[in-house]
Amino acid sequence: MRRARRSASAASPLRAALGTLASLGAALILVGCGGEATPTALPSPTPSPTVAPRDPGVSSARIVVGQSAAFSGSAGELGVNMRMGIQAAFHEANEAGGVHGRTLELRPLDDAYEPARAVANTRTLIEEEGVFMLLGAVGTPTSRSAAPLAHEAGVPYIAPLTGAGFLRNPGMTSVINLRASYAQETEAMVDRLTADLGAQRIAVFYQDDSFGRSGYEGALAAMERRDLEPVAAGLYPRNTTAVKVALLDIQRVRPDAVILIGAYEPISTLIRWARRIRLHTEFVNISFVGSNALAQALGPDGAGVFVTQVVPFPWDRSQNIVAAYRRTLAAYDPSSTPGFVSLEGYMAGRLAVAGLQAAGPNLTRERFLNSLRSMETVDLDGFELTYGEEDNQGSDQVFLTVIGSDGRYYPIERMGDWRP
Amino acid sequence: MIPRLLEWLQSAAGKAAELLRSVNSRMPPRLQSAVGRAADMARAAARRMPAVFSRMSALMPARFRSAIDRAADMARAAIRRMPNAFSRMSTRFQLVIGGAAALTLAATLVGWFFINRVSDVQSQVNEGSLPEITAAFLVTEYTGSLVAAAPRLTTAETQADLNQVAADIDRQYRAFEEQLAILEGGGAEGNAERVARIREHGDTLISSINGIESGMPETFDLAEREDMLRVDLTAAQDAVDVALFPSVDDQFFYLVTGYRELDEPHDARPDYFTTEQLNSYRHLADLHTDATSAAQVLASVFTVSDAAQVEPLRERFEAAAGRIQNTFAVYQDPAAQFRLAPIIDQLIQLGSGEGSAFNLAERQLTLAANQREQLAQNNVIALELTDEVEALVSAANTRAAEATLASDQAVLSGRTWLLVIGALSVGSALMVDWLFVYRVLLSRLASLSDRMRRMAGGDLEEEVEVKGRDEIADMAAALEKFRQNALEVQRLNLVELMAQELEEKNATLDKQKDDLEEALAELSKAQDQIVMREKLAELGSLTAGVAHEIRNPLNFVKNFSESSAELLEELNEVLQESSEQLTEKQRKDIEDISQDLVSNLERIRSHGERANRIVQDMLMMGRGGGESRSIVINDLLHEHALLAYHSARALDPDFQLDMREELDENAGEIVVVPEDMGRVFLNMVSNACYATDQKRRGAAQGEPYMPTLTLGTQRGEEDVVIRIRDNGGGIPDEIREKIFNPFFTTKPTDQGTGLGLALSNDIVRKHGGEIAVESEPGEYTEMIVTLPFSPPERLGDEDEEEDERDGEAVAAESAATGEQAQADGEDEG
Repeated sequence: MRRARRSASAASPLRAALGTLASLGAALILVGCGGEATPTALPSPTPSPTVAPRDPGVSSARIVVGQSAAFSGSAGELGVNMRMGIQAAFHEANEAGGVHGRTLELRPLDDAYEPARAVANTRTLIEEEGVFMLLGAVGTPTSRSAAPLAHEAGVPYIAPLTGAGFLRNPGMTSVINLRASYAQETEAMVDRLTADLGAQRIAVFYQDDSFGRSGYEGALAAMERRDLEPVAAGLYPRNTTAVKVALLDIQRVRPDAVILIGAYEPISTLIRWARRIRLHTEFVNISFVGSNALAQALGPDGAGVFVTQVVPFPWDRSQNIVAAYRRTLAAYDPSSTPGFVSLEGYMAGRLAVAGLQAAGPNLTRERFLNSLRSMETVDLDGFELTYGEEDNQGSDQVFLTVIGSDGRYYPIERMGDWRP
Repeated sequence: MIPRLLEWLQSAAGKAAELLRSVNSRMPPRLQSAVGRAADMARAAARRMPAVFSRMSALMPARFRSAIDRAADMARAAIRRMPNAFSRMSTRFQLVIGGAAALTLAATLVGWFFINRVSDVQSQVNEGSLPEITAAFLVTEYTGSLVAAAPRLTTAETQADLNQVAADIDRQYRAFEEQLAILEGGGAEGNAERVARIREHGDTLISSINGIESGMPETFDLAEREDMLRVDLTAAQDAVDVALFPSVDDQFFYLVTGYRELDEPHDARPDYFTTEQLNSYRHLADLHTDATSAAQVLASVFTVSDAAQVEPLRERFEAAAGRIQNTFAVYQDPAAQFRLAPIIDQLIQLGSGEGSAFNLAERQLTLAANQREQLAQNNVIALELTDEVEALVSAANTRAAEATLASDQAVLSGRTWLLVIGALSVGSALMVDWLFVYRVLLSRLASLSDRMRRMAGGDLEEEVEVKGRDEIADMAAALEKFRQNALEVQRLNLVELMAQELEEKNATLDKQKDDLEEALAELSKAQDQIVMREKLAELGSLTAGVAHEIRNPLNFVKNFSESSAELLEELNEVLQESSEQLTEKQRKDIEDISQDLVSNLERIRSHGERANRIVQDMLMMGRGGGESRSIVINDLLHEHALLAYHSARALDPDFQLDMREELDENAGEIVVVPEDMGRVFLNMVSNACYATDQKRRGAAQGEPYMPTLTLGTQRGEEDVVIRIRDNGGGIPDEIREKIFNPFFTTKPTDQGTGLGLALSNDIVRKHGGEIAVESEPGEYTEMIVTLPFSPPERLGDEDEEEDERDGEAVAAESAATGEQAQADGEDEG
């Protein structure tokens, strides 16, 4: 501050001296008509280049799609399968000649289900890799950190593997959800438990983070609608298996059913210990648990454990979307095993392809998002996704599955349908 | 000579002294005394002068003295000539121009002098004050940049950033030094001290900045270590959570259920529900709490902004660490100790020892405080420096202002001087104009030119006045001379003019006389023609009457000669019947006589018929032939020429004629009375035949002569020209005028009546044409008939009128003419 003022005051004597010189010059003419010094013309500002901006990640030959997901750690199984499904869908589209002549390319980065790394990955993908969109993120806390970044940068954030409510906020215009929300899943759980099994005493066990709380709140709301409240609520710190104290709390109240909102490792620990201490109750898991990994971890203890799903049953080839998925997956990677997460990944990939197709050859992010929104119904081989002005969530469907005695999943309509 | 000069000089000095005295009284005292001294000196010099000069002249050699005298004589002569020369206008012009040149020179010198002064002042400003001000300004600028760059040093995040900023600072400092050197070299008195102070401040500033810069690597180092520490801390926290949560969970579950592992059977209650197990749970819980607390304290140390707050945090950490160590000491589970010890150690390590988070934070805060202090100091130094520079600038500015004032002064006096000189010039120009140009030159020139104009107008009487001795006076004298000459010439001219006029009048009179004579001749000729016409008219009527009367006797002659022939035949028959009664001789005689009679009767009859035909023709011709109609002119000419030729050959079989035709193919048809016009051609060709025949007969034997006739037609724009040319004897000039007169003929009296050409002329004129004659006596004659394509309208009417009015006369005339033409056919004279 002080400096600027000083500079100005130092300039003024100079100006006075220059003025003196000007008057001298005028006096030299002897006849009294003095000339004013003509002010030098200011250089006109250089016009900024008006080349039509092309959104990053799009070239005439390809479209680059980013993915930040957990490919390692407790949720690593989810990310790996999600990526496989997406790549199968992209492979399918590329084999068919690409989208408007552009091939799709996925850039996956591992965030290990850590929000900080998800943020770093998202930054890298947007700023350095210059991806056109972000597809198939995994997890609620990671998405919670990454989605605002993408939204701020105007980068489409498509089909994250989470049902958290904040991503369904209509203000999140850059976000397009594929799956039903956790609230819808927990609503289905409570609905089935109360309707099919007549359960009244329901406990909730959840992971102590935004994912767990999101599911917990959904369950709470669903029960509230039926004038119920959880008989017990237990939680465990993320990335630990410290579930046993909570199990004791749940055991104490002897609930009819336990709604589990967590990752497969602590959940399987909890269920196995529950079986060990002879807690007889129904366990209902949310889709994010990672169905295949859960069944594997539970082994024989898994029999009768319910899992709600947001995609159709991957072995039900009678559904066109499942048939397409199985065909594509087998073509892409014959050694892979089908599952719910890779099906969701495949559908996410298909959703992205459908949006790109509809956006036309002059692809921009805005056009892409608008085309998805304005389509209202995106038909993925009979699986209909509906969007609208205030609705960025495609599917509202929740499917119920159960683990059989053989450790495999079975689709069921009602909980009473299953007997060991 | 010299003494006189000395006297004059003395008196001049006296006058100057007086003048000075009078000026003195109006002057400031200091000048007064100076002037007084000067006057005294002048007076003293004047007093000493005669003595000096007389001594000088005594000292001079005689030759030198005489040279001086000669020079003086020449000067005197020149002075004597001067008034004379001065009266000349050229001299005066030279003087005036010289004066003007002197004034201009003076103005130029004054202007030059003052411009030089202004330019001196300006260069003083340009070379002295301006660079100084600029340098001072730049010094201030660079100082500002240096001070502004220092905080950028402290905010640099990497060594590369720092190097860049340092390079910037270095560059600016070098520029600062440069400008300072300029200021030092500027050399205005009193500046050196200031510049030295500025340099001192600059050095302090840069050393301070260097201090900040040298402190920066440590800052970077600390920041790097902070980052690493934070990472370690997060890892330690996570490790504590991951290790202690399940441990606490396991211990509590064991306490409640007796289960340790899934695949192990549970212990008996007395075994697992013991004080020892409870303490173990308590210790694990304490460990978790204290470890978490220690980690939180460690994390918070990087958020404090004051070094003083670090110490309490360190104390809290040490307390927590102490508790952990205490707990660890009494916690007797070796497996847990083995598992937890490295995690706890790592955590405690972060907060103790030389590289602890606390020391790190303390050092960072101290460094930052130092930097702040130095920056503040920099600002103070910069302010002082700027003050010095400002003082420098204002000193330079003052000098510049003084210079400006001086230059203003110079401009003002220069302007005043030029104004004075200008006014003087204008004044003298006006004076010269009025006194000299107008009064001496223009007014007199005007009067002279007025005189000249009047002289040009013819006023030569008044005498030109001659005044003065200059060029205009010379001109006036010349003009006077000219006037006198002109007067003389004017008089001479008058006489000559009158003579010429007389001559012209005489010539006019002669011409009028000639004209009158000619008219008289024409009149008398016309009179002759009228007389001739009347004569002809009378003759015509006479002839017509005679012709009419002659026809009856001729009829008698014809009838009776015919009946006599019949009678003679009857007589011969009678004689035949009675021939035997006669003798041979008688019969022979009778037959002879009878034959003679027959032949006589035949002659009588034929001549009678001829006479009748002549009369007939005369009567018919007089009536004008017949109707006018369109006819091919070439044919008409050709037929009648042949007719005439055959007539001539009928009279004289020896006659030969070479007839040539040069007819215009395009002559075409013209409207004429063919009989009349044919007669004209017949008459003319007959005349030609006669003339050529006459010439043939007259030609000497052996002289080759071939009568030649050339017929020509030529179509003009409105008429046709017919030419009939023979190579006969031609027409002598003296009779050419008369050939168209009636009864004029050159033929023997029995051969021509003199009517042929007169009639032809008459006919042609009635057709609106005319006849011209060209001839060379002895060579040729050419008759040229010009006929319009169609005759005037009134040709027919006139004919009728004439027929009615003087039918008899015309008939008579025609008869006479016809006879003439028929009988003779030749009129040529």
